[in-house]
Amino acid sequence: MPDFDLHFSPFSTDEAASYKLIELPSELVGLLENAIQSSDPLGLVIKGDPTEDAVLCTRDKTYSIRTVNLSNTLLVVTPPPDTEFNFAEDAVVIRDQLNEILELAPAVPRISKLVGRLRGREYDETNEEDDEDEEVDSDGSSRYTYTQAREEIQASDAELDVCLKQKRILIIKDELRPISPSYLNNILELTLNVLVSESLSHSAASLDRLTSALAGDHGISRVVSAQVLAWFGEIQAGGKWKMNEDEVIKELGLGILREHKNDDPIEKGAFVAKWKLAVGDTFADRVSLNLLAGNYLEGRPVGRIEHEYLTYFPSSTLPTDPAARFADLFLTRTKWRVEDITPFLSDIAVNNKERDKLLLKYCRAISESGAVWYTARAQYNG
Amino acid sequence: MIIPITISTDSSSAKLPSGLARISHDEIVLVELQGALDVGDCHPTERNGKLVGKLSIDDAMKKPTLLIGHHLLEGKVAAIPKPLAIMHRTNAAAKNIGDDMEVDDETQLDDSIGGTRGGNDGQSAPEWTILGLVKKKIIFSKRPMPVIKRS
Repeated sequence: MPDFDLHFSPFSTDEAASYKLIELPSELVGLLENAIQSSDPLGLVIKGDPTEDAVLCTRDKTYSIRTVNLSNTLLVVTPPPDTEFNFAEDAVVIRDQLNEILELAPAVPRISKLVGRLRGREYDETNEEDDEDEEVDSDGSSRYTYTQAREEIQASDAELDVCLKQKRILIIKDELRPISPSYLNNILELTLNVLVSESLSHSAASLDRLTSALAGDHGISRVVSAQVLAWFGEIQAGGKWKMNEDEVIKELGLGILREHKNDDPIEKGAFVAKWKLAVGDTFADRVSLNLLAGNYLEGRPVGRIEHEYLTYFPSSTLPTDPAARFADLFLTRTKWRVEDITPFLSDIAVNNKERDKLLLKYCRAISESGAVWYTARAQYNG
Repeated sequence: MIIPITISTDSSSAKLPSGLARISHDEIVLVELQGALDVGDCHPTERNGKLVGKLSIDDAMKKPTLLIGHHLLEGKVAAIPKPLAIMHRTNAAAKNIGDDMEVDDETQLDDSIGGTRGGNDGQSAPEWTILGLVKKKIIFSKRPMPVIKRS
């Protein structure tokens, strides 16, 4: 039976704590094995401030990192490093002794920090003539760039780009500027008008003609219109823009809905009629409240119980921490049906299983009049 | 702060003897012990390079043994349920990182893995690289048997 002399490494004190073991979820095992085989750099990074919990990001996914303590000791054993030390032929050395491993779990990207940093940096029609070289704006808020976001926000690059698109954040000369909702609505309405006036098809419109018309007739900078069109459609080969009808219709609906917060609900039928008018005849049939899921509440306010009324209630303004979010949701309504509450959880749960776990943890399910209702568990109700 | 993790492509480093290389990875083997190695040294650097014991494994990879002093440990080769990536810090400049890390049982890791903070200016950021994936380990879980060595 072959035997091997086991030594401490000659640099044992220096090497202590220089090794870490990471437990890999199944999808990362394959990814890493391929990367090792093909020498693909893979773009793995660990991101975070000293004050935050670390996350590990691949090019398109984010994982939270937890330390799991082991009662056993794991020795990392390798062949001896090159030194003058005289080791026997088949000796091996202990490089490090570990009592913990790092465990990875898929996580929702942590982008709430981004929204906070961009407060006060909105872009609207007053910025069309802007001198973009100013470092600090007159009210003291400083620029936040795309490069900074990539370094500081705990999300993978692909997830960050998706977030910028969903939150309607423009990149102007590397600086991040959220677009003002009313300005965005304006651009979309003008785009629909231009499509008609220039007789362009909404499934294959010349990008050039569109941006030129928006710039020439309406003063909208091409940098801005090109990004807006990319959010609301696909830019295909040959410079053609194919509109994503549902996204455009949804945004126009939101534009109307935003006027109707808690103190001014709008009657459901009246809202749908107004919405159809805004999108025009071509798309009126695609108008549907499903497009606005997670952004409104339906109910019968006191004194107006004959009809259903809608109020603007966007999940994007709710807290990202689950306990706080459920507290807010139950303050708004003491009980919810499953189908009414799930749209307000989709941005804090990675998948349906996680969402169900959250419901189990923070809500109590009761059966009433043949349906299941969720209410708050006592301690989370303020 | 971003800490990039590279993937080691260095295939020129020394390989383990074939008996150990066959277990999972040709350059690294993980050995699991219950408890820890107790070294009676007065100064931490005294242990550098010192002999710990003799590790053996039979050809069929079924019976690894470890002889430390007059203890004989018998173990087995076990599969690790979720493969482990071995990450190594290659820049040894940031030595006081070990004190900055706060680790509690099963809580989340504070992000101080090799980061440069305000106070550490002047030290280059450590680099971490993944040396490989390990799917099996040698685990010694039985009580050691005392043996008497013939001198």
